[in-house]
Amino acid sequence: MSAKIAIVGGGPSGCYTAQALLKRAPDLEVDIIDALPVPYGLVRYGVAADHQGTKGVARQFARIFTRQNAQFFGNLRIGRDVTLEALRRAYDVVVLAAGLPGDRPLGIPGDDLPGVIGSGALTRALYEHPDAEALPELGEAPLVIGTGNVAVDILRLLAKTPEELSGSDLGAGPSDWLAAQKIRQITVVGRSSAAAARFSPVMIKELAELSRVDLRLAAGGSDAGEVLAAAVAGSAGPLPIDFRFESRPVALEPLGDGLQLTVETPRGRETIAASSVISAIGFTGDGSFDRDGLLAEAGGAARLYAAGWFRTGPVGAIPQCREEGQRLAQQILDEVQPDPARIGRALFAGRAGITDFDHWQHLDALELAGATDQRCRRKISRRDDMLRPANLQDA
Amino acid sequence: MNIAIFFGTETGNAEMLAEDIATELEDQHETTVANLADSAPEALQVADLNVIVCSSYDDGDLPASAKPFVERVQSEMPDLTGVRFAIFGLGDSEYAETYGFGSMKLAELLVSRGAQALGERPVHDAAGDELPEDMAMPWLLEIIEAADA
Repeated sequence: MSAKIAIVGGGPSGCYTAQALLKRAPDLEVDIIDALPVPYGLVRYGVAADHQGTKGVARQFARIFTRQNAQFFGNLRIGRDVTLEALRRAYDVVVLAAGLPGDRPLGIPGDDLPGVIGSGALTRALYEHPDAEALPELGEAPLVIGTGNVAVDILRLLAKTPEELSGSDLGAGPSDWLAAQKIRQITVVGRSSAAAARFSPVMIKELAELSRVDLRLAAGGSDAGEVLAAAVAGSAGPLPIDFRFESRPVALEPLGDGLQLTVETPRGRETIAASSVISAIGFTGDGSFDRDGLLAEAGGAARLYAAGWFRTGPVGAIPQCREEGQRLAQQILDEVQPDPARIGRALFAGRAGITDFDHWQHLDALELAGATDQRCRRKISRRDDMLRPANLQDA
Repeated sequence: MNIAIFFGTETGNAEMLAEDIATELEDQHETTVANLADSAPEALQVADLNVIVCSSYDDGDLPASAKPFVERVQSEMPDLTGVRFAIFGLGDSEYAETYGFGSMKLAELLVSRGAQALGERPVHDAAGDELPEDMAMPWLLEIIEAADA
């Protein structure tokens, strides 16, 4: 079957969907479109810099382009460079796998005060996303709201010594920034009980093994499971990380140079002082798509499908992307009705600035050539350099 | 001698390696590739050289696609006497405490049912530099050579 399928978003969901489609129907024309000049989405910009093993799925994704004949159209933002309507006219099927790039706001008074930063904004800066804001000052006592794996990623990176970051791809700028932070204590606040916290036990174990970490249960936590209890008992470094469970944030106010968080607990209201607040309570759309409307319309009749976090909300990790991609591929193949009149990728012919997979392979080789004893790659972080890597070599 | 390759995978890396192994061997040998999720315990045949590629997930757990197979072996308790298998693990040394436990658990289960493990059980480290096929092929060719002899 030679249907034309456009996948909007080159992250894990888009890639696994393409992989599954082409495995079942190798003659499909599958095009993966990404707003960034480079593929792989959260594998590159969301999986932590020190979790290189998790990023290993990128080898599978590369084969979608090098062996399964998918094409990559990078630096092409649907909704700005090409409208979604034009894309849907040009392709037999459009799959929306654009993820959820925005930080879900805390939704409490003071959540927009200076010193409050979203976990997505912070990790984009740490992982050198080209559109990232500058890294913020966290001060001596940052407070993290949320107890999911993104929160634990941030705790781990903040707590690691330079030696413990060896082998990662954390860039020079973020590495210097981390080394310059003078954090004396970190507080983690979660609404749930310890037993209901979202983090994976294995991530807590990993955190507790770091040389500087001293995990403590400061509030709640009487129901802490075996893993968390062992992590608390077994960590005794110089950096206290205080978990406060069953603490629902209700308000943020300025306090001196920092902030004060009020939380509702089973014991009543409590306040916690912090030098900065990192909210890690999940992700949401950034308004570039009418997500609710599109999800309501999605289906075979509309020749429109959604995948990954764009469809499900910010739950599930890489294995779920794969499982769902396989299911979605089968559904698409059952429902697609190819129309040879649709022009497919000819829609982009002559458009300047689009990057292809060869371009990524060139950037990838340049990044790997920049590896050192301490770092497995040197990411190219500026969009201009990504688009014109020749300029880098002159520099 | 047919080489029956099975994979237990969570993110697809073990499946990719199983396919790469089959591609490398197909000029010299009859090969089959199957997902453990689609395999019954009887798929491990005495006449074959069984090669298993199995990852590890989360806290040293079996990968999702190996779980239904393992549950069947545990409930059906098949006699695997005479079955020969070579198993290659995929792991991530960032999680040192349970590194390669998925493949270890599967290997121990098969041995407990009477199957014979051929060679060592190497574990490829996803956090390292070496490609899994560069580690798996020399290991497997040695096992095939010994099995043919």
